[in-house]
Amino acid sequence: MTVDVLVVGGGSAGLAAAVTAARQGGAVALVERHGVLGGMGTASLVHSFCGLYRLGRDQPELANPGMPGEIEQRMRRRSGIDPVRMGKVWVLPQHPVDFVRIADELVEESGVETRYHSELIGIERRGAGWLAELVCRGRREAVAAAALVDASGDAVVADLLGAESKLSEPARLQRPAYVFGVNGVAGELPPLVIGAAIVAGVREGDLPEAARGLHFRTSGRPGEVFGTLDLSGEEAGAGYDPTDPRCLAALEGRGREVAERVTAFLRERQEGWAAAYISHWPMRAGVRESRRWLGRAVLSGAELMAGARHDDDIAAVSWPMEFRETPRGPKLRFPESGRVAGIPFAALTPRAGGGLFVAGRCLSCDHDAQASIRVMGTCFATGQAAGLAAARAAAGEDPAATPAALAAAFGPVPGLAD
Amino acid sequence: MDPACDADGIVAMLRDEGIVELPADFPADGDLFAAGMDSMAVMQLIVVVEEHHGVALGPAEATRESLGTPARLAATIRARQ
Repeated sequence: MTVDVLVVGGGSAGLAAAVTAARQGGAVALVERHGVLGGMGTASLVHSFCGLYRLGRDQPELANPGMPGEIEQRMRRRSGIDPVRMGKVWVLPQHPVDFVRIADELVEESGVETRYHSELIGIERRGAGWLAELVCRGRREAVAAAALVDASGDAVVADLLGAESKLSEPARLQRPAYVFGVNGVAGELPPLVIGAAIVAGVREGDLPEAARGLHFRTSGRPGEVFGTLDLSGEEAGAGYDPTDPRCLAALEGRGREVAERVTAFLRERQEGWAAAYISHWPMRAGVRESRRWLGRAVLSGAELMAGARHDDDIAAVSWPMEFRETPRGPKLRFPESGRVAGIPFAALTPRAGGGLFVAGRCLSCDHDAQASIRVMGTCFATGQAAGLAAARAAAGEDPAATPAALAAAFGPVPGLAD
Repeated sequence: MDPACDADGIVAMLRDEGIVELPADFPADGDLFAAGMDSMAVMQLIVVVEEHHGVALGPAEATRESLGTPARLAATIRARQ
């Protein structure tokens, strides 16, 4: 197969990249390892869109134009749920079942050719473009592409190319989350009371220590809640490594074990939970941080704190740095002056050049900045920028003009207006 | 018994333990939930209160009325000491 743009990874960034590229008119293929798009928001059951809205506002105002607002609108129409304020930030509750269908509609309407159940296993330069090798259950397919977007979340393209990338040391990596669905819960969900019951259960020896990383939120559907369990990532007995299948196996197994024990405990102890049961497991645990690209610019946490702006900004930072370095809940750090930083196009541009762009949680940044830019709302924005850049590169237009082309297509970035 | 079980002591404890990010002069009647405390932070809080004050808060005390401000949290702990 020959395409103009090949997008690797169909999570929030890859979805936005592929749809944006396809709307420019070229042929676009999207490789996805599951049978659904949406990544963390579907396969890992992460049920809030964080990073859609501007920081420090009294009302939920979209931070970035184009795709983030389009997906926000589609989700609100399906769910009927408005943005909610959680502490100092606005989030949009989202249902993974709805997000799957929104992604289906977006790729179908825009003409993206999806390659499901497939992984990228090889990539090399071919003329001015790229030759990719995909595999679906042992069946190989070669794809020639003029431009390439790495939205794999794990900088898979960087690893296959031997390009510069970085994986934080195990002790600093953001901890993974294991999210599962529970049905049959009656009445209002009292998260504080349930939290206290779990702490009491651990204190009395009825629950494992790891249960203290668990909290529940209502899904917005009757009787349904989501449990989110932050784990240490060290369940295999060694340091956390999100690219090590042994580590991931231990993490998945431990997640299910703790989820089942806590659900059984609450069935006995908690009012309204007598008929509760686990109704769905994630297709995979939610990895928050993995390999990152080191590109032409490396966006830093210091820049986020200082509200740095760049000549080539393509999106506004739209979430605080949310550190999850322990499984005991988040630590949020907001920009010092309240002014948010911009995300420069150079952080979406690997040094290898040649029509290769990166988007989503593996774009070029340091560990601290990744704690902010990894969220789905921001990934929609960086994906959109990478998709437009790739479409332009494939059409022989100067990718360096992408920031101006984005502004022309979608308007100014509200988050950078101040 | 911890002598610092007043609102100032609670603010210091929440800051030191990183339960919720607060300025040092956070008011005794300030809303801890508006400041960012969530259900996971409350789980940590219960563990920390037990360590600092020897009081094991239970589900009955896990309410905004009992924990929602430094002053109310201090009163809840004192009532159990």
